[in-house]
Amino acid sequence: MKKTVEKERIILFTCNWHAFSSFEAAGIDNLPYSPSVMPVRISCLGRITPGIILKAFEGGAAGVCLVGCPQGECRYQNGNQEAFGVFEESKRLLRLLGYNEDLLQYKLITAGDGKEFQAHVEHIVRIIQEKRNIR
Amino acid sequence: MKTYPEIIKANQAWLCIDCGKCSSVCPITLHLVDGYTSPRLLVEGAVTGGEESVIEDPLLWSCLTCQRCAEICPSQVQFSNFIQNARQLAREKGHSGQCTHSGMVQGWMRMMTDPGLEQKRLDWLDQGLRTNPESDVIYFPGCLPYYDAAFAQMDIEGTEIARAAVKILNHLGIEPAVLENERCCGHDPYWQGDMDTFRKLAELNLEMISRTSAKRLVTTCPECAYTLKNTYPEQVGGLGLEVMHLTELLAESENIGRLFPQEQNGQVSVTYQDPCRMGRFMDIYQQPRKLIGQMGFQLVEMDHHRHTSICCGTSCWSTCGKLNKDVQAERLKEARSTGGEKLITSCVKCQIHFKCAQSDPISGQDIQLEIQDLTTLIAEKI
Repeated sequence: MKKTVEKERIILFTCNWHAFSSFEAAGIDNLPYSPSVMPVRISCLGRITPGIILKAFEGGAAGVCLVGCPQGECRYQNGNQEAFGVFEESKRLLRLLGYNEDLLQYKLITAGDGKEFQAHVEHIVRIIQEKRNIR
Repeated sequence: MKTYPEIIKANQAWLCIDCGKCSSVCPITLHLVDGYTSPRLLVEGAVTGGEESVIEDPLLWSCLTCQRCAEICPSQVQFSNFIQNARQLAREKGHSGQCTHSGMVQGWMRMMTDPGLEQKRLDWLDQGLRTNPESDVIYFPGCLPYYDAAFAQMDIEGTEIARAAVKILNHLGIEPAVLENERCCGHDPYWQGDMDTFRKLAELNLEMISRTSAKRLVTTCPECAYTLKNTYPEQVGGLGLEVMHLTELLAESENIGRLFPQEQNGQVSVTYQDPCRMGRFMDIYQQPRKLIGQMGFQLVEMDHHRHTSICCGTSCWSTCGKLNKDVQAERLKEARSTGGEKLITSCVKCQIHFKCAQSDPISGQDIQLEIQDLTTLIAEKI
């Protein structure tokens, strides 16, 4: 078992609604995705702050992705937009700290679409794996 | 590691005569809503009740370490220093203050302790600014680029201050060295009692600075200036060069003469906020006032100025709430009541905290006043 688990961790902050539902759909449909991905469920993506994102990197995350509801469909009106501001701010901080900005990603996913979720996750994992050695 | 009896003795806490002068000037005590605490009660608790009493006191983490109480104390109880020592001990027991901004600032400070970090922090250096890595003057911008990135929505002067500082130094014929990989000076971890982070940051800075041939280090942040000048020699070792705040350098007679050959006459009145680390900690009161006067501004002092100046309300990115906003609002009201058109300060943190209070949609309406850093003001005038 140990050999199949990769050491790198990509933290996926998913909101409780569209994003988490598509994550669950991927699980129900048995769609495989990288074992590096560690989902962390939060009530809304608007809860995320640069401090939390930096903490993930400080703890050794290879990359972080914020996954939320599509535009206009946030359960709490504008959490996904708020999160976009945080995403931009955190990218600026990561750049200053010498990290590749692409190690932080932001995606909005429709509820229940496991395939879209899988495709996005694989895409994000590829980007992060490509960029992680380019600081 | 010191013990409680040792820190009580080292900071003269046992000499407290219960006079309560500290309580009457403490900005936190003044604005407390629930419960009551004061430097006097905390010290009394430390001497009579010991460790538990100090840990339970809310002032342990909400103290601004502004030195106002220590300055007025007839028994010279070093309260700010006592708080620093007590926080260090409390941390060992797993206690800590509440970080503001979800611990973002503490996060980047801890991330900077990585020796392999290759920061990209010099994007603000314009082509028109001249720097020289072999220079005998180092300019230490501190966390300015980070504040710029983190508080962009508040329209603060972050890297503008850094650009202004290099522009002024260039004007004086100095091409400073700016280190690409300098770390946070460690002021905030130190005053939060996080000695592990502080030592790691300080050692990295010491090593980097000792590799240069510089004789002077200039900074635009009072906290960096105080930490590099006083805390480093006490805790990890001296830098072996002269550390000064930019205003100290500019107020030297030859420099002020070159910046502003003649004292200008102007009608614009301004007021000045003394940053705690610069005023009470380093006794730099005269230099900024001299520069403001030489530029032709009419300086109107607030009721609390120089050694009685009031802190900007938050310290070390920790425990900020209604109480702190009240301190800031009251200070800004005092600044407005002078009739000055601008509030000048020499510390970027004062600016961030005041602008944060001003951005409140309700209480911010009564406290609007233009806030500017002295460095950018000078750069505009030369």
